[in-house]
Amino acid sequence: MNDRRAIGRALDAHLHLLDRQVLDRDDVPVTTVDDLELVGIELGAAIDRDAAPPRVTAILTGSDLATRIFGGRPPPSRRVRIPWELVAEIGTAIRLGVAGDTLDATWAERWVSDHIIGRIPGGRHDPE
Amino acid sequence: MKRLFSVALGILTAIGGFVDIGDLVTNAVVGSRFGLGLAWVVLVGVVGICVFAQMSGRVAAVSGRATFEIIRERLGPRAGLANLGASFLINLLTLTAEIGGVALALQLATSVDPLLWMPVAAFGVWIAVWRARFRLLENVTGLLGLTLIVFAVALFMLAPDWNALAGQALQRGTPQDEPVATYWFFAVALFGAAMTPYEVFFFSSGAIEERWTEKDLATSRLNVLVGFPLGGLLSIAIAGCAAVVLLPASIDVTSLSQVVLPVADAGGKVALAFAIVGILAATFGAALETTLSSGYTLAQYFGWSWGKFRRPAKAARFHLSMIICLFVAVAILATGVDPIVVTEFSVVFSAVALPLTYLPILIIANDREYMGDRVNGRGMNAIGTVYLVIILIAAIAAIPLLIITGGGA
Repeated sequence: MNDRRAIGRALDAHLHLLDRQVLDRDDVPVTTVDDLELVGIELGAAIDRDAAPPRVTAILTGSDLATRIFGGRPPPSRRVRIPWELVAEIGTAIRLGVAGDTLDATWAERWVSDHIIGRIPGGRHDPE
Repeated sequence: MKRLFSVALGILTAIGGFVDIGDLVTNAVVGSRFGLGLAWVVLVGVVGICVFAQMSGRVAAVSGRATFEIIRERLGPRAGLANLGASFLINLLTLTAEIGGVALALQLATSVDPLLWMPVAAFGVWIAVWRARFRLLENVTGLLGLTLIVFAVALFMLAPDWNALAGQALQRGTPQDEPVATYWFFAVALFGAAMTPYEVFFFSSGAIEERWTEKDLATSRLNVLVGFPLGGLLSIAIAGCAAVVLLPASIDVTSLSQVVLPVADAGGKVALAFAIVGILAATFGAALETTLSSGYTLAQYFGWSWGKFRRPAKAARFHLSMIICLFVAVAILATGVDPIVVTEFSVVFSAVALPLTYLPILIIANDREYMGDRVNGRGMNAIGTVYLVIILIAAIAAIPLLIITGGGA
């Protein structure tokens, strides 16, 4: 775990990170943690006794949900990553330190908003 | 004073909001066949929904996470997706039934064919979801739904033989002329109608929409613990009316006009008008709740932005999925399927889906990571576990009973 704030607190990646809600800095939901990107570990290879522990480098979303359920692995170019450096806080949700609009992970949300929902009258107004 | 007002308002809304098309139809059907012989099921169901609704509200207020976010996190993506699929489809079926109910209520008022009213009803629901504030929706439909009290008034005006009604309610076992399986089939249907899972999705997501904190929990608990049982009494009054008027005349309930027949019998046109307003408000309110629930479950599983407190453009996929659900509901109804039949199926399948929602809530309400020191007490866990057993039995028995009895025919 390379999050400085998490020092002194053991987190189980499966229990505390996977499938947890990701919020941006304004508490707007961004996505759910569909999968995690790890470096420093080779799939299927034996682990050296004094090898450095693997690090979490990104939250994965998009097609990784489908592959996690049905198996297989998308090519890296197809991956939607949220770099781990953007994570600010881990609680009952994972909070990012940036606005969600700037991320690739919210592309589908922005598309639906710009092309469909935002064009229906009243779509850009607060509810009354 | 202000607090007193808000508590009173909350209770009144809970009473009006408890009854939906499932409760209306199932209670009338059961009343016309078994009298008050199944009233005990409504009591069992009301206690159950009180226990789990306030539990899910507490989880949402303390942890800030709504029910389906938690279901996904605890069950993982695969079992979570299976749960989402079942819960979402059954909720869609309930939504279809509610839209059909709105159309049938409008037909009672205007004599215009319900097929013409269905798109109007769906459009009305959409406009409300699109533009109106959450609190406003809940209060208006809940308060107007209170006019369903006319069923209780009608029961008194019919001057029934109270001893006979009490005898039916306290009778052990099945009546002579009905098979045992039919009796239990309707018991499961009534249980499903009282405990419909969407109420929990709606309640926990509503807690987040209205930004509840732990302070609001006392108010919400009072609303639930007083409002839902009184709503349950309305359900029993509907069954009672049917027991007094329809049972002796051997009238089968196949449409809403039979549901309101006892009210018209007792109080004439004025009472009928109240009943129609009440049914319209109750079904419209439930249509809003199920529409929102379909958006809530999808958005919370996939981690999309959701909530009525946001502008639609800021919760775009949430709003798009609700629009699609409304279209699907109207498409199903446009095939000419009888909304009453859709309702009967929706309450039975709700019973099947109950454990999918209620088990994860019970688990998470005991998780200190989420709940801190607000985890369930021992008493709450005992009641929750007893209910889980009842729910499981009802869920397992529902489909076999549906097949054996041919839908209670």
